[in-house]
Amino acid sequence: MIVSMFGVLFDGLAYGMLLFLLSVGLSVTLGMMNFVNLAHCTFGMIGGYVTVTLMNSMGWPFLATLPAAFLVAAAASVVFERTMFRRLYRSTDLDQCLLTIGLVFVSVASAAWLYGTIQQPVNLPSYLRGSYNVMGVTIGVYRLFLIGMSIVITVALVGALEYTRFGAQVRAAVDNQRMARGLGINVDGAFAVTFALGSGLAGLGGALAIDIVGLDPSFALAYLVYVLIVVSVGGLGSIAGSLVAAIVLGISDMAGKYYFPEIGSFLIYLVMLSLLMWRPVGLFGKR
Amino acid sequence: MVSSLAEPLLALRNIRAGYGEAVVLDNISLELADRGSLAVLGRNGVGKSTLLLTIMGFTTLRRGNILWQGRDITALAPHRRARAGIGWVAQEREIFANLTVEENLTVAARPGRWDKRAIFELFPRIGERRANKGNQLSGGEQQMLAMARALMTNPALLLLDEPLEGLAPIIVEELAGALKRMIRDEGTAVILIEQHAGIALSLTEDAVLLERGAIVHRAKSADLMKDAATLDRYIGMKIKA
Repeated sequence: MIVSMFGVLFDGLAYGMLLFLLSVGLSVTLGMMNFVNLAHCTFGMIGGYVTVTLMNSMGWPFLATLPAAFLVAAAASVVFERTMFRRLYRSTDLDQCLLTIGLVFVSVASAAWLYGTIQQPVNLPSYLRGSYNVMGVTIGVYRLFLIGMSIVITVALVGALEYTRFGAQVRAAVDNQRMARGLGINVDGAFAVTFALGSGLAGLGGALAIDIVGLDPSFALAYLVYVLIVVSVGGLGSIAGSLVAAIVLGISDMAGKYYFPEIGSFLIYLVMLSLLMWRPVGLFGKR
Repeated sequence: MVSSLAEPLLALRNIRAGYGEAVVLDNISLELADRGSLAVLGRNGVGKSTLLLTIMGFTTLRRGNILWQGRDITALAPHRRARAGIGWVAQEREIFANLTVEENLTVAARPGRWDKRAIFELFPRIGERRANKGNQLSGGEQQMLAMARALMTNPALLLLDEPLEGLAPIIVEELAGALKRMIRDEGTAVILIEQHAGIALSLTEDAVLLERGAIVHRAKSADLMKDAATLDRYIGMKIKA
């Protein structure tokens, strides 16, 4: 029991880290720019298909596809932002939801048309496969890699936002857009970079997710729910909040499926409900 | 465009501006010479702040144009005007609450004479509180920081919207001293909106009086200071010597 508990904790932690990578960008764009981007997981899906295509059709090694997944998703988001999202920054939430959910459906259909509806295979390199056995607990190498990767990204993200001039300018623009502009800060540019960064991380998350949750065209819609839960439980705009929420939800989801398989899939919603009833603005939310 | 010596630093030509459908300012024309200083006086709600917001590009401009060093900036985005050398100190100070005092300065920094060291010399209090968050400052400190932050952009023109409002007399004195230094010694051009008409006129060279969105009187500040009748008529206050 105890041993299995550690196993569930570890797997849940890895799963939570994956949710964190997928959702942190949305938390930042929603919290900072007030743009409701329901198409966030579309960028995750783009990252996933980039990795699959590069590996299976072009023979790239898995690790080399990860930066590509990040870059392509980020670049795609810039195109979306410039051509569509930008026009709706001052529109109502409903307009933003309608546009972005429409994009989700378009992306789901496009992925089905291009790749079919089957699960995409991914062959991890041998050094990322297998597992260690530590005192009876199975520690999957790939899950360990996921956790390490997420820690590095979190540290880099917090560092960039809290300790660079660009990060301070983004925070200033979030705090008071007009004043930031009045001081010469290119607010639109800063937001575009932030948006691309968040989408790129989703792309990376999508690529890393294939081995854990699989990849098919429904990804953009299926994970939207999880990502929204993480963002609302964590609190808008809070990186630390997203991290904690993603870990809590990842572990409770794993635990639910392991210990209470009959209601396993519902446990994550119960956790969400109780956390939001306890703190309606999210764990680290300010509003 | 070739700029000549006589060319004004800033020129507003027949400006009509407001917010959305509402027109606040009409038929405003004024010029400010390089190193010039202008006091904008008038009762509450006559459009003084709107004038500064229009110069920054935050209002809806319906007619007229704005020239900066001879160049038409009527269609220029606000952040580009700031980068071109127009510094703005907003009426509500608008300190970035979640940034430290030091970050409030660095986000605005552009190369030039004003850097953090020069700022901390001008406002030693700001230097002492550099690690505090913006929302932990007193009103006077916030005002100093707002002014310091605008100076960090190394502006050729500083737009000041009631920088002395609601401050304790001792802080008013300190800030007025800093303003005097900027105008007289540093040669920074200034447009100053101020309820303390006496201080505003003593700091500036020229003055305009605004009423219902239009300029109703222009004078040398020194002359207006002695013109009690005009002051009383348009701002309803007597100048204290």
